Amino acid sequence: MTLELTGVRTAYEQFDFGPVDLTVENEVLAVLGPSGSGKTTLLSLIAGIATPTAGSIRLDGRALDGRRIEDRNVGMVFQDGALFPHMTARENIAYAASGADRVATLANRLEVTDVLDRTPETLSGGERQRVALARTLATDPALLLLDEPLSSLDTPIRNRLRDELHDLFESLDIPVLYVTHDQRTATALGDRIAIVHDGAVEQVGSPSQIHTRPSSRFVAQFTGNENCFEATVVDRTEDGAILQIGDIQFRTTTPDLPASQVTACIHPSRIGLDAPDAPVDGDVTAFPGTVTRWLHQGSEYRLRVELDRAPLTLTVNVLPTTFERLSLENGSTVQVTVPDESIHPIPDRA
Amino acid sequence: MMGSHSNRPGTSTLGPDWLSVALALGGVLLLLYALPMVALFLSVPPGDFLARIDDPIVVSSATTSLLSASISTLLATVFGLPLAYWLARTDTPLTTVVLAIVVLPLVLPPTVGGIVLLTVFGPGSLLGDTAIAAGFPLTRSLAGVILAQTFVASPFVVVTAKAAFESVDETLEYASRSLGKGRWTTARRVTLPVAGPGILAGVTLAFARAIGEFGATMMLAYYPRTMPVQIWVAFLELGLENAYPVAMLLALIAAGALVVLHTVAANPWT
Repeated sequence: MTLELTGVRTAYEQFDFGPVDLTVENEVLAVLGPSGSGKTTLLSLIAGIATPTAGSIRLDGRALDGRRIEDRNVGMVFQDGALFPHMTARENIAYAASGADRVATLANRLEVTDVLDRTPETLSGGERQRVALARTLATDPALLLLDEPLSSLDTPIRNRLRDELHDLFESLDIPVLYVTHDQRTATALGDRIAIVHDGAVEQVGSPSQIHTRPSSRFVAQFTGNENCFEATVVDRTEDGAILQIGDIQFRTTTPDLPASQVTACIHPSRIGLDAPDAPVDGDVTAFPGTVTRWLHQGSEYRLRVELDRAPLTLTVNVLPTTFERLSLENGSTVQVTVPDESIHPIPDRA
Repeated sequence: MMGSHSNRPGTSTLGPDWLSVALALGGVLLLLYALPMVALFLSVPPGDFLARIDDPIVVSSATTSLLSASISTLLATVFGLPLAYWLARTDTPLTTVVLAIVVLPLVLPPTVGGIVLLTVFGPGSLLGDTAIAAGFPLTRSLAGVILAQTFVASPFVVVTAKAAFESVDETLEYASRSLGKGRWTTARRVTLPVAGPGILAGVTLAFARAIGEFGATMMLAYYPRTMPVQIWVAFLELGLENAYPVAMLLALIAAGALVVLHTVAANPWT
């Protein structure tokens, strides 16, 4: 199956959406963006709830334009599940499924067999979403759309369901569009991520591309990269360029930079910290720096490091093992190493 | 949590004294409602009431009222629900106009409603004369009673059901349709059941209004006599005491409607 959007646009009172071009194969495309960016509009257009003013949407070559919601064979899971409140979980699934066997199979697959005879209001948030998924899968959709299905769940349940969804999506073998405003969920579930901003798709790429090679300052910052700096291209070499940020020069491996002014982004997880006197090797730039603030974020530490030779503050993520090995605290002197590959220049837009 | 005490205004600062004052003031109204009802039922001993309840005149008027109110309610529901659904799911300048027309009978004095209906359905009007010629007069007939009751009572169905439909999250309808069910199946199996208690409230209110209808019925169909008309006639011809049995019966039916509202339907006023 292939979902293809070509030049799709729509407009509300104060909001222009599109034009959006997008191709989704049998994969999970995480649609990531802030609230109000147009993520839900994108799903509504594909599902037939909203009508495009221009462009075309095709599913496996078949045009969906003008087709009613019920004739599209597009499954949609809504934010709170949208279970029918006057039906039990079983009746909700049976509403879409043909036969009791099918209900039982789906209930078993989504692990909701025990709660089938309960009404939606007595189900937990996680159970509701499982039932909603079972109900949607009962129609054998050719395409699955999910609108922030985990956003109202508590962290442990969300994490568990997220892992299960990953496996489920893999077994489906249809295009899946998963809308979220949480970059962790997008990174965990998406084979690719589409960043939506102001009614347009800003970048589509693998999670690692999105994180380390953002196409704009917005993408960098929305995915948690605070290290974006104005930089001047001072020299172009065969296999890269030299960038100047403030008083410091960095090497980058990006060749053929078209502009002389760029925004240089350095992902916080792609910066090394070491003892001040540690040997430096490889294609890196090394500076002395001082830790000015640190925050424990569970799986990692997020530090602010001021460079001694320039008025530049970097955000650096380090693993707890590194944090403990270097006995870091506020005021610690460190050696900051920035690999050439970590410097990602974005040409400034005219 | 800062400011959480402000979530319960009045409980600590004004205290229960103010509540007592409120109840005392409201109590005056409460007496106005309850006393006449109690007096009505005390004025006739239960034995007398039961003895006079099978008076042919009482039976005839009760039959007319129950039959006409049932048919009026049915008509109001069959024609009112689609209109209510349309009103709930469209938002255009036309919607506002249509809603204003629907509400008109609610604010119109019933006697004026009767006059308005007479100009369209009464003798001398094109429609009225055609109906009489066809042997199906629209005044002084059961049809006239039903016409008057439907005019006055059906807005209750439309207005209440509109609110009930509006309270049904549209996402549920989208969900149903994304599961391959068409608009009609969705309306029948999702929207109607979810809005059900609210709709039932509207239907009950319409029935209560129809069975108590007097003004428009008087103008349009003095015969066959409904209970309110019979009460009026008995009062004029034979005095207050002769109006009691039918009045009590009507009060009991009204109380029954209230019970329905509180049990199976979603009472829109609680």
